[in-house]
Amino acid sequence: MTAVIDSFRGPWCIAVYTWREGMRKKTLVGFLVLSLLVIFGSSFMSSFLDPSAQSDMELKLIKDICVTTIAIFGMLITVFISASVVPTEMDNKVIYTVLSKPVRRVQYLLGKFLGVQLIILVNLALMGALFFLAIYLKQRILPTLLLWSILLTYFQFIIVSAFTFAISCASTSSVLPTIGGLFIYITGTLTEYLKDVFTRSGQTGELLDKIVGYLAYALYNVLPNLMHFDLKDQIINRAPNDPPTDVLIPNLIAYGLLYAITGFIMSYIIFRRKEM
Amino acid sequence: MKRNSLFILILLLAVFIALGTLQNRHLQQLRASEAFYRWILAAATNERLFSDQSEGYDDKSLFMSIADATESLLPEVSTMENTGADPIRPVSRLGMVAGEQEHRKTLWKLVSGPVLAQQRQRFLDDARQRKLLFAKDIQYAEAQASGVNVFNLFFGFRKVAATFVWIQVDRFWHQGMMYRMIPLMKTCVTLDPNFVDAYLLGAWHLAYNATAKMVDTPQALKTWSDKYQTCLGEKERYYYLAVDFLQDGIQKNSDNYKLYFDLGFAVYKNKLQDYEKAVKYLTPATYKMYHDRWVPRQLFICLELNGQYEKALEGWQQYVKEYPESQSALETAPRFIKRNQAFIQEKEAEKAEAEAKATADPVAAQLKRKEAEEHTQAALRLWTELNEPFGDYRIARLHALDLGNEGRYIEAIGVLEKARWDNLSSFDEASELIMEFKQKGNIPLSVSEKKAMLRKEEGETCTGQPAASK
Repeated sequence: MTAVIDSFRGPWCIAVYTWREGMRKKTLVGFLVLSLLVIFGSSFMSSFLDPSAQSDMELKLIKDICVTTIAIFGMLITVFISASVVPTEMDNKVIYTVLSKPVRRVQYLLGKFLGVQLIILVNLALMGALFFLAIYLKQRILPTLLLWSILLTYFQFIIVSAFTFAISCASTSSVLPTIGGLFIYITGTLTEYLKDVFTRSGQTGELLDKIVGYLAYALYNVLPNLMHFDLKDQIINRAPNDPPTDVLIPNLIAYGLLYAITGFIMSYIIFRRKEM
Repeated sequence: MKRNSLFILILLLAVFIALGTLQNRHLQQLRASEAFYRWILAAATNERLFSDQSEGYDDKSLFMSIADATESLLPEVSTMENTGADPIRPVSRLGMVAGEQEHRKTLWKLVSGPVLAQQRQRFLDDARQRKLLFAKDIQYAEAQASGVNVFNLFFGFRKVAATFVWIQVDRFWHQGMMYRMIPLMKTCVTLDPNFVDAYLLGAWHLAYNATAKMVDTPQALKTWSDKYQTCLGEKERYYYLAVDFLQDGIQKNSDNYKLYFDLGFAVYKNKLQDYEKAVKYLTPATYKMYHDRWVPRQLFICLELNGQYEKALEGWQQYVKEYPESQSALETAPRFIKRNQAFIQEKEAEKAEAEAKATADPVAAQLKRKEAEEHTQAALRLWTELNEPFGDYRIARLHALDLGNEGRYIEAIGVLEKARWDNLSSFDEASELIMEFKQKGNIPLSVSEKKAMLRKEEGETCTGQPAASK
């Protein structure tokens, strides 16, 4: 038991130090401040609307803008931080100092990955708290469904984060992984197009056409589909205890975790033999 | 050793990819079931409340096959009362169960389980071929048709896009460009089918603001509409556009009382004066959904206007029990309770009078007349206690009817003439009674009365109206 705790002590220390270092990054703080400003500013967006139109339009406006802001800035923070933690340490040679200590590569990588998750979680918590407050001040009811929405947003980000982290382990600078991370997010939301490719394949009767179709179908099943997490946008406007929503939430959490572990294993496979 | 550990890692990676793929497949199935479930809710709402709108689509046949397959598996819903469903039209058990929020979990279990696997697959196939009208705004169902659709636009940020389109709609309204608003409002709800406020405000713009400066279309200028089965002019067409818009909203958000309320109260009651339809939509909003307190109040008012005094009375009494301390229970409800009690007495008096006239037995007739007199006296007492202009008008009306029965038409007309100016809300009703007395008493009609009589004789006919509907 002590051995297990000891083996996690190293990664935890690295995670905390990664978090501290990450929170000092100016770009990240910039994204965070900007997102908080947009969330705060969403309360004033209703001034564009006619005040005589008595409705919940203002609340809807706040909800939509905040959800979108959290998704955009959260995603940017996720990609930026996941792409930069390992390459930055390689660039400033800190990694050599750390790995010369009695820390195994897997422990180092786990620490870095956990540190990234801590940064994402803290940022999401800050944005979510302000959003929560904005909604609460408007309707004077605790928006509990919002918490589920933010939780699902995190599990969407963990997938993007894990695969971006894997790319960053193969790279020496953070530019390529950042572009890769954005690409993962964009393609992840368009995965359903692959099913359409499969459905339409085979119309010409040519073998290649069929092969492309089957390949598309295999990718459709294997690649993470971020559109599954669209529930995070819809849940806010749904009634509590909606039966399909109740079933989907735990399944989405499991989905996010499985792909996060997959991404981490990929990172380790790449990182374990890396020359440095 | 190193090669072995790499092998183990790759094996582990393969295992997690396989687990992820399995979970992905499971989620695809869950999302397919969710889309199927939401389509059933929309199709069930259509079956309960609207005349079939899915002509040319496969919705009805698929829904009926599901209804047949689940008939014995669903809990029994004993009564159609308070659902808003037309009692004459048959509604399947599935249609009824889908309207009850307490049975949603049972319905979901059935929909996502193996019993309906075949129908679920048919649903997905039909959605892929765009054969289902009510699946058009369900994200997963739409994705079957084209892979990438409006839901993927803006990488999932379509809701905020809908909000910004709405701000543009609002701007057009201030600029008076109503014709530009309508397509944009539709874009808004296409981008976000759960944008309830867009439906509500859109319908309000159509029914109220667009028609604010229009005059009522004279009957002769109206044309027959096959779609709505009524005569319409330009102004009335806007009312029905609002009806369509709200009905579309109800299909996609079948549990939102606001849409039912606006359709029943704002459009059918206030604009079309169709109290039967108003009751139809206000009833499920009151009894089947969470609602604000004004919803039942409007239902009871519409029930009264529709001549369902007993139900209205029962509703008001229940309201007082539920919210005894509210201002409405203390001030408004007692007035309406008295009004409905008085109306019931008037109705009973008329019934007894009619029975007295119908019977050949003079003793029975005498008894019935006595009964009618008692009911009339009770009604008069209640109207007097009410102590408001409407009550005074009803007293005057009863007095005029008495005079009319005695053949004292000029006096009856005199009473009504004063009453109609004292209570303008009953002006039309009093005017009709005056014309009736004038005809009975061979008293010449005024020019405007003659015109009104001619209009009445022509009826509600218009250009293009089929003979069967006249």
